[in-house]
Amino acid sequence: MTSLLRILSFVTLFQLCTLAHAASPLAGTWRIVPEQSTDFTPWRTYDLTITVDGDDVTLDRRLAWGRRAYEDQTSITVGPDVNLVPTDFWPDNRHIGAYLGGDKTQRISATWLDDGRILRLSNDLVLETQQGSRAVNILSDYKVSANGRQLTLIQLRSTRNKPTVYVFERVDTP
Amino acid sequence: MPFFRLPFAATLIRHSALVIRRFRPRVRLAALLMGHCALVIAHSGTAGAQPLPHRAERAPEHAVIIPLSENWRMDGDIPTNVLLISLQGLANRDAPRVYLEYPTHWQWEIVRPLVTFMEKRHGTQFERLGLNDADTALARFARHAKGYVVWDREVRTSVNVAFTAAGVLDAIVVSEELIPLAEKHGLKKVEDLRGIFRGKSDFEIYSWAVDRYWDRCSRDYYAVLGGHAGMEMQPGVADFAVMQRAFCADLSANPKHPEELALLTDLLKRQNPASTVIGWHSYAKDTEGQHTTLTGSLGLKMEGLHNLPNVSYTCQIPLTPDFQFKNNHHVAPDEKLEAKPKVYIAALATDAMGIGTWTKPGRGEIPYGWQVLMGWLRLNPVALQFFYEDKSDNDYFVGGLSGPGYMYPKSIPADKFPPLMATAREFMAELDLRILEIMDYSEGNRHLGNTDLPKELVDRYYAEFPDAIGFINGYGTARTFDLRDGVPLISYDYYLDVNRPVDEAAADLEELIQLNPVRPYFMLIHIRESNTIEKVKNILSSLSEEVEVVPVDTFMKLAASQQTYRTRYQTEDDPIDLNP
Repeated sequence: MTSLLRILSFVTLFQLCTLAHAASPLAGTWRIVPEQSTDFTPWRTYDLTITVDGDDVTLDRRLAWGRRAYEDQTSITVGPDVNLVPTDFWPDNRHIGAYLGGDKTQRISATWLDDGRILRLSNDLVLETQQGSRAVNILSDYKVSANGRQLTLIQLRSTRNKPTVYVFERVDTP
Repeated sequence: MPFFRLPFAATLIRHSALVIRRFRPRVRLAALLMGHCALVIAHSGTAGAQPLPHRAERAPEHAVIIPLSENWRMDGDIPTNVLLISLQGLANRDAPRVYLEYPTHWQWEIVRPLVTFMEKRHGTQFERLGLNDADTALARFARHAKGYVVWDREVRTSVNVAFTAAGVLDAIVVSEELIPLAEKHGLKKVEDLRGIFRGKSDFEIYSWAVDRYWDRCSRDYYAVLGGHAGMEMQPGVADFAVMQRAFCADLSANPKHPEELALLTDLLKRQNPASTVIGWHSYAKDTEGQHTTLTGSLGLKMEGLHNLPNVSYTCQIPLTPDFQFKNNHHVAPDEKLEAKPKVYIAALATDAMGIGTWTKPGRGEIPYGWQVLMGWLRLNPVALQFFYEDKSDNDYFVGGLSGPGYMYPKSIPADKFPPLMATAREFMAELDLRILEIMDYSEGNRHLGNTDLPKELVDRYYAEFPDAIGFINGYGTARTFDLRDGVPLISYDYYLDVNRPVDEAAADLEELIQLNPVRPYFMLIHIRESNTIEKVKNILSSLSEEVEVVPVDTFMKLAASQQTYRTRYQTEDDPIDLNP
């Protein structure tokens, strides 16, 4: 009896976890709403696709201006371990003389907040400038609205006095 | 070595003009011919030189202004506009007679200020015709044409072919409905392009034009009548193309159009060394990076844009005899300055003298650098005189762009580099410029790739410009920095996008100050085109950090005194993006 209860409990827990992750409100494809967002020139469009599989999260980003487009993919596991993500380009602010440097690896810690409604990343990387290398931390909150149709990305960069706020609309079926 | 150096030749000709006026007409004519010969010798003796466009002894006492309408659509006023532009090219061929007043929205904002300047400084009295008054214009100037060429309203590309035909056949360009008007003024049909291009590709159409006209076209000027595409057309530079009998096309430099690219490359290869490609690439076919990379790879100079107005007129207006190009130098060439532990900012506006903010309020309120398109010494000297005489104490001129025209140095073959830069040196001397701006989009742009220079190329710039007090690199930001014998090469650390809000731009500058903690920190800012000086002032005044805004030449001398920037050139690891 005890064994049966154990098995049932395990199955129920597994199903709950699966349901929770399958229904992650972050998952889906999102398109930026420029008029509600911090200016993100020189790019004109910003599409973000978030894939959630348990604690494995993949962020596919596409920034474009006319015929020019930049795409990258960040795959991380949410949890206590730091994710090492090799990267070759830093497209976040192309107006300033700052370029991805160091070992060209981002060190990303990820946490779920508010029952999976918010994904918080803490990202350590090195930027190169005319004077040399500079360690930078970027805190990013990806949070979904109550109705599930809006995603807000708030980023705090250790070197920037102002936060950046990007508002996205869901472009696929939730 | 050149027989005469350009500044000397220009001075010689100016002085000659003064002296010649004292002689009787026949002697004056002979003297003028000799002067003209001296000019030709001066320029033909210059390595990589091309003949000057015809230049008048003096600006005309009388000239005609024809205002053009706001409508530049194929289904709107394009037929009348292209007629008037072609007529202008013919009427101005041997003397400046017709000046077109482009609408107020036209990208080149100097159209009207130049009229005021020429009235005041050259004493020209302009007679103004009615808006798009082709009838009166033909009554006055049809005698300069031998006929008309008809373009096909069903085939947009036929307009460009018609401009080529207009140049070599001395004809005006008309659409079907304007034939009666042309014939009313005694002109006969010399070419009819109707019907023959329908269903043909641009490659086929331009190949036909090559077979028919190429042998009679200029080898010194090739015209790119691209830019706006579709229903909009702005062939403002076509007057000069007609005047020079240039081949006109909007052939693509995009590898996605291999036939057009092959034809374009073949045609440009047939042009004279170091000659000029005037106009602009088609926004619908290729990119600025692709087109300028191609022209540079053939050692040709690019001069924009497709809508650059009135060059057939302005290229002929000489400098006034009392004028000399004089920059606002704040430091002597050998002077040494000592930087303090602070943040130094210098701002440089590009393209802004013609299509940007020169004429907008605020100029003179803060130190500001202005990129001078040096090729205008040949094509638009009157405009340069206007800018130099109109400058405030805070305006400082810098030479651009990469050489004697708009070029990407990484694409220029090494053997073509020295003669081109010799011409650039002469331009800089004549224009009293001590700083050269370099831009290279052959392997990237401000979005992707890199805009940096390899060490070997930096070596060549230092060698070719021994009198420069500094070099600037970039357009968007770049990472090439150097300091040799007190002469820095500094890349832009910030690009002020036209659409960047003041608060975000201020945050950008503050972030750069955070990212570069050592003092002095030298921040060079590229002010793009239509950003106003007022906006720049607002950005700078809202900074939470203390900065000192200095003139570009002072900035260079300060940067020479203490190298807090790392010497860096393009590396093999730098990303490359070939302008898709």
